[in-house]
Amino acid sequence: MNAPRLMLVLLLVGCFTLAARLVPTGLPADGTRRGADSVAALLLGEGRRLFANHLFVKADVYMHSGYYPTIFDHAQLHGGANSTRTQAATGTGQDTDQGFLGPPRDWLDRFGRNFYVTTHSHLGDDEEHCEHCRNKAKSAPAEPGHEHHDGEAASGDVREILPWLRLSAMLDPQNVETYTVAAYWLRSHLKRPEEAEKFLREGWRENPDSYEILFELGRVTSEVRHDDARARNLWELALRKWDQKNRGAVDPDLPLRRLLLGSLARLEERAGNLAKAIGYFELLKSISPAPETVQKQIDELRAKR
Amino acid sequence: MEPLVKIESLIVEYRSKERGQPVKRAVDGLSLDVQAGEVFGFLGPNGAGKTSTMNVLLGFVNATAGNAFLFGVNVREPIARQRIGYLPELTYYYKFLTAEELLRFYGKIFRIPRAEADRRIDAVLKLVELEPSRHRLIKTYSKGMQQRVGLAQALINNPDLLILDEPTSGLDPIGRMKVREIIQRLKNEGKTVFFSSHELGEVETVCDRVAILNQGKLQVAGRVSDLIAQHQMNLEQLFLKIIGYQPATN
Amino acid sequence: MNAVGPLACVVIKELYRRKDFYVLFVLTALISVLMGGMNFFNTQNIARYIKEICLALIWISSLVIAIGTAARQLPAERESRTIFPLLAKPVTRADVIAGKFTGCWLACGLCLVVFYVLFGVLSAARSPELNWLQIAQALVLHWFMLGMLVAMTLLGSVVFAAPSSNGTICLIVTAGMLLLGRHLNKVALQLTEPGQSIVYAVYFVLPHFELFDVRDMVVHSAPLIAAGPFLLALVYAGVYVAVFLLGAWLVFRRQMLN
Repeated sequence: MNAPRLMLVLLLVGCFTLAARLVPTGLPADGTRRGADSVAALLLGEGRRLFANHLFVKADVYMHSGYYPTIFDHAQLHGGANSTRTQAATGTGQDTDQGFLGPPRDWLDRFGRNFYVTTHSHLGDDEEHCEHCRNKAKSAPAEPGHEHHDGEAASGDVREILPWLRLSAMLDPQNVETYTVAAYWLRSHLKRPEEAEKFLREGWRENPDSYEILFELGRVTSEVRHDDARARNLWELALRKWDQKNRGAVDPDLPLRRLLLGSLARLEERAGNLAKAIGYFELLKSISPAPETVQKQIDELRAKR
Repeated sequence: MEPLVKIESLIVEYRSKERGQPVKRAVDGLSLDVQAGEVFGFLGPNGAGKTSTMNVLLGFVNATAGNAFLFGVNVREPIARQRIGYLPELTYYYKFLTAEELLRFYGKIFRIPRAEADRRIDAVLKLVELEPSRHRLIKTYSKGMQQRVGLAQALINNPDLLILDEPTSGLDPIGRMKVREIIQRLKNEGKTVFFSSHELGEVETVCDRVAILNQGKLQVAGRVSDLIAQHQMNLEQLFLKIIGYQPATN
Repeated sequence: MNAVGPLACVVIKELYRRKDFYVLFVLTALISVLMGGMNFFNTQNIARYIKEICLALIWISSLVIAIGTAARQLPAERESRTIFPLLAKPVTRADVIAGKFTGCWLACGLCLVVFYVLFGVLSAARSPELNWLQIAQALVLHWFMLGMLVAMTLLGSVVFAAPSSNGTICLIVTAGMLLLGRHLNKVALQLTEPGQSIVYAVYFVLPHFELFDVRDMVVHSAPLIAAGPFLLALVYAGVYVAVFLLGAWLVFRRQMLN
C-alpha cells in the first residue's frame, strides 16, 4: 500500500475511533436523545417549533380562504389606534366590510387590494360570510385554530387544512392544539372518527399528560362510537390530569374543565346516574360564568330523582 | 484618395478614480492616416497608447480632444463601424455557442441575409481553417482556434478595414504562422489591415507601413523599407532606439 | 436596433444550454410530487396544499433564474471581452442593454411557461375544475414582475462591480418587497417623523413586486382579477422597466470599457 492510501486509511480509522468515543459523551445522562429522534428535529433543532407554528397558522389561513391578518395588521388593530394619522386615514372605526384591512390608506393600497384575497369566506362556504368571524376580526384578529360553529363549512373543502396540521404535528409533536384541532375537523366535518382517534392517540403518546387530548378522545368515543363506558374513563382521567396540571395555578384552564364537567354530567345523566350527574353539575356551577343556568339543570335532575 | 483611417491631433486622458491622482494622458496629439489596401503596423511598448487609440477608433472611449474618422465618418457615429472588422486581444467568445452560431449571431447584427450569411460563414470558416469544428461548442476550442474564430467574426461582414489588436498574442509558433498567412491573404484580397503587435519580425514581414508610438506620442511613421534604409538598422533595432532602451552592460 | 434580436437570442440559447433551469425544474417537480404523494389521514383530493407548494417552488426558482441570468450578462461580456467585438460593430450600448433585457425577459417567460404547465398538470391531477384563465393571469403577472426584476438586476450589474454582490442585493430587495412591500405604509404610520416620511417615500419609490404575486388567489380559487387593474399592473411594471433600463443605459454609456 502506497503512502497516500495508508494515510487515508489511518485518517478514516482515526475518525471512527474519535466518533466512537465522542458520541456517547454527547448523549444526555439518561441515555436518550430527546427531541432529536426525527429528521426535522435533527435538522432544525428548536427552530422547528417556529415552522410548526407557521404551518399551524397556515391551516387557519386556509380555513379563511386566504383572508387573514398579518402581524402588521395585528399591530394596526392593537397599537395603530393610538396613531392620529391612522384615525384620520381610517375614520373612527374599522369598516365592517373590509374587516381587519380597514379602508385603503393610499392609492397604492387601494390598487393592491385587487391582487390578494380581500373577501372573507370559509372553506366550502365561498359565498356566505361568517358573521361570527367577522365580528371576531373586529375585536381581535382571527386566532389560530379557533373553532367554527357546525354547518359553517361544508365538509369537503375542510380537508385542505389537514396537510398543514399533519406537517405541524410532525415538526412539533408537543403542540397539543394541533391534535385537538385536526381531530375536531376529522370527527365533526369530515366524518373520519377513526383517523381522528388515530391522530389523537399519536398525540397522546407524545403528550401523555395532556387532558385536552384525552377530552377530545372522549368526544370521539362518546359522540361517534357511542361507547359511554370508555368515554367516561377517558374524561375521568382527563379530569385527574387537569387537577394535576392546574392545581395551584394562577390562571387555570377553566374553559376546558367546564367542558369536561359538562360532558361528564351529560354522560352520567344519559346513563341514569343522576347523583353523579348532579355532582358534576355542582362542580361546574362553581366555575361557570352562568351558575344560574347550571342550577336550573341541577334542579331539573333533582326533580327527576 | 480619402484615407480609410484618419486621426487628427488625438488626445486621450484617463481620470483616476482615486482623489488627488493626476490625470493620465495615454495619447498625446497623435495624427496619422491609413490608406486603402495597405497593411499598417501600429507599434509601441506596453502603455504607449496603442490600445487607447484603437479604443477611440472603435468607439469604446471618447477622445479628450482631436478627431478620428473611419471611411470619412466620425467614430462617434455607430455607422462608422459598419464596414470594419475588429479582433480584440485575448477574447473568450460565448462558450455555449458553436463557431457557426457565433458567426450567424454577428451576421444578424449586420443584417446579412440568410443565404448570404451561409455563404460568408462557409468562406470565413474555410479561411481560418475551422470548417471541421464548426458545429463544436467554442468551449472545447484550443487558444489558437479561439483566436481564429475571432478572426472569422471580424471577417463576417466582409469588411474593408480590419483592426487587429495583437492578433498573435499568446499563440504558439504554428498558430502565429497561420494568423500571419491569413493577414497576408487578406492583403492580397485588397483589404486594409490596421494592427498592433509586439512581434517586430512579423510586422516586418507583412506590413507596408508602420508607426511607432512611445508615451502616447508618435515617434516615427513610414514605409518599413524606407525606415530601414533611412536609419541603417533593422526594425527591431530602430524600435529599441526610439523607445530609448539602453541594454545593460556587464 | 438591429442587435436587440440577435443579442436576445444568444441570452435564450445560453439559458437552455446551461444546467440551471433543468436542475431547478427537476427539483420543483420532484419536491412537488414527493410532497403531493404524502398521505394525510387517508384523505384524497387535497389540492390547495400541493398548489401552494408547487407555486412557492416556482416563485423561488423563477427569482433564482431571473436574477442569476440578468446579473451575469454584462459582467460576463466584460470579463470574457466579448463586449469589444460587439461594440466594434454597429451596435450601441443602448442596443446591448435592450438586447440583454429582452433576452433575459423572454428566457424567463419560456421557463415560466414550462413551470406553469407543470403546475397545471399537478393541479389538474388533484382537482379537475381548474381555472386555466386564472393560471394564465398569474403567469402573465409573474412574467411582468420578472421583467421589473431583470431590469433592476441589469441596472445593478452596471453599478456594482461583482455579479455576486449584485445578485445578493437584488435578491434581498425582491424578497423584502415580496414579504413586506404591502405593509410598509402600515409600518410608516406607526413611526414618528422623520421616519414616517422616509418609510412612506420608500413605500412609493420601490417597485411593488408583491402586486404581481397572486398565488393566494390561485390557491384559494379567488375570482379573476378585473381587466382594468390587471392591465394597470402591467403598465406599472412597464414604467419600472423603462426607468431601470434608462438608468442602466445612463450608467453604462459613461463607463470606460478598457
